[in-house]
This record gives sequence, C-alpha cells and structure tokens, in this order.
Amino acid sequence: MRLAPVLAMVLLLSACSSETAPLSVSDVAIARPKPGMQMTAGYFTLTNHTSKAIAITEVRSPQFGSVQMHESVIEDGIARMVDLDDFILNPKSTVKFRPGGKHLMLMQAGENLDDVTLNFHTGESIALSINVKVTD
Amino acid sequence: MGPRNIFVAAVAVIAIVTGTWLSFKVASPPPAPNVATVLPTGNELPEFSLLDHTGAAIGREVFKGYWSLVFFGFTHCPDICPLTLQVLSDARKQLQADGFEPLPRIVLVSVDPERDTPEKLAQYVGYFGEENLGITGDLEEIRRLTGELGIWFEKTQVEGDTYAVNHAAAVLVITPDMEFRALFGAPHQTDDYIHDLPIIMGRK
Repeated sequence: MRLAPVLAMVLLLSACSSETAPLSVSDVAIARPKPGMQMTAGYFTLTNHTSKAIAITEVRSPQFGSVQMHESVIEDGIARMVDLDDFILNPKSTVKFRPGGKHLMLMQAGENLDDVTLNFHTGESIALSINVKVTD
Repeated sequence: MGPRNIFVAAVAVIAIVTGTWLSFKVASPPPAPNVATVLPTGNELPEFSLLDHTGAAIGREVFKGYWSLVFFGFTHCPDICPLTLQVLSDARKQLQADGFEPLPRIVLVSVDPERDTPEKLAQYVGYFGEENLGITGDLEEIRRLTGELGIWFEKTQVEGDTYAVNHAAAVLVITPDMEFRALFGAPHQTDDYIHDLPIIMGRK
C-alpha cells in the first residue's frame, strides 16, 4: 500500500448518490493501519447540498474505538494537530479532508478492517452513513 | 572576398563563438535548490547515545558514510508523518529510477520514545522502505540531539488519555561526514527533493 495510489483510488459510494440528501461524501480513502499500528487516517470530500449550515458533531465507526476530526496545521515550521469539534459545513459548500490538512483520525482499530462504516452525526442523529473498503 | 578578408572573417567568427561560449559559462550561475536551505558547512552533529530500530545502541557515527534525510516524528501520527515519509520514499525511488547515486537514507527520529519502542519503529520505518533507519531511546538524549539541531517538539493532550506531539516538520540533510548541511521546510513535495538533492549533494 502506498498513499498516492490509495488517494487515486476513488471509491464511489452508493449510499450518498441521492440528489435529495442534505450531505454527500465522495473520494473516501482509508488506508489499512501501518504494521504494528492501531490507527490510521481517513480522507474524503464532504458536501452540504442544503442552504443551511450543517454542524458535524462527531464521526463514529463501529470498527474503531475512537474517531476524531482533526486538521494538520503547519505554522512557523511546526506541525500541529487541531481538533475540529463541531465541524461546520457552510451552506452549499464542499470541504476536502486530505493528507496534510483536515482528516479523520481513526484510533483503536478493531480486528476486522476490510470494510469500514463511517457515521457522520449531527447532534443525536446520524446524518450520513457510508461503507468503504479499506485499501492496502 | 580575398584570402586576407576570409582570414579576418574566420577570426571574427571564432572570436564571437568563443566569446559567447565563455560569457555563457561565466554568466550562468550554479544550479540553485528550489526550496531547500543550504547551510554554511561546519554544522557537525552533536554526540548522542540512542537506539536504532533494531534496539542496537548508536551514536552519531550511525550517520557516517551516508547521505541522510532526517525527519522528526512519531508512529502515532496519522497524517503528517506518513505523508512526509511517503514523499521521501517516493523521491528516493525516483532518484533510484533515474540512476542517481548514492541514494540518501531516510531516517525517522522519534519525538515520542514513550510509545515508539525499537520494535514499533522497525515495523513503521520498514513499511516505507527496508533500508530506512529509525532512532529512538531516552527522551533527554533525543532532546539533546534535537536541541542542537534547532528541532522543537512538545507533547500535547488530544483527548482523554491519548496524546499527540507537536513537532518541527522540517527534513534535515546530513552529509556522510556527519554534518547538518541543508533543510527542507514543510509542506514537502517529492519533486523538490528530486530537483534539490543532487544539487545539495554536489552532483548537479
């Protein structure tokens, strides 16, 4: 597994193809954790199709004990990770989660990681649920 | 045109060609790196006492005889560290495909020795290339090394009992004579390494 081919691999998601859905996600890439590691990163493109802002309060996955929305920031030559609590997606906007920027930090990986489910929460409810094949 | 004129014309042409060639040679500056900052020579690595990814005790002599690309990071870093190591690894592969020699060695110095045991580092750096070197060990010794090199890092709480480490994202170029010669600032791009490394290493 190498990062570039993983990113090049566009995974089409049937769950979000409906035009009426408020949220959609595309270009999801989750690499299998590196050897010996129990964590990896998740990347995708997230679109808000509505005319109202949507706050993603959290992302959860049955395959990972902990999922956090983070952003890698390089400031004055220092790499930091910033928590994206209550990530706000502006009306009619698209945001890319990509290497070196916003990403999902997927931690405490379970045993079976071939298929991963990501649930995007807005408050109590799941606004979007997607399934994705992990890439090697 | 008489023979004398032909001779003058020939001399003039030779003079013009030679002059143009010389001015080109003198005027064209040596190739400069695109992004890397090349330091004045003489930045010798400090002595240190750490472990490599096999668990063997190492000092600065581990850098002797190799051009090294040194990154400071940690295995529990999900984004920047694997991204940077991938860039370095891709650059090395491209240089290899271009027939470039000697190929630089990729070195990861852990800024999280608490979690980065030699075993963990071995798996991690090995994933990006079996010739890579991982360095870990006593935190104070790592600080001695990073302090001398101007590399800053600090442990930070992410959530609950998990933590991250904020760290300088630069990649340092160390010479086979154990000197800190150049540095690449983030964000790192494969093409910059392919262009700049041969210049830094004096082979272009």
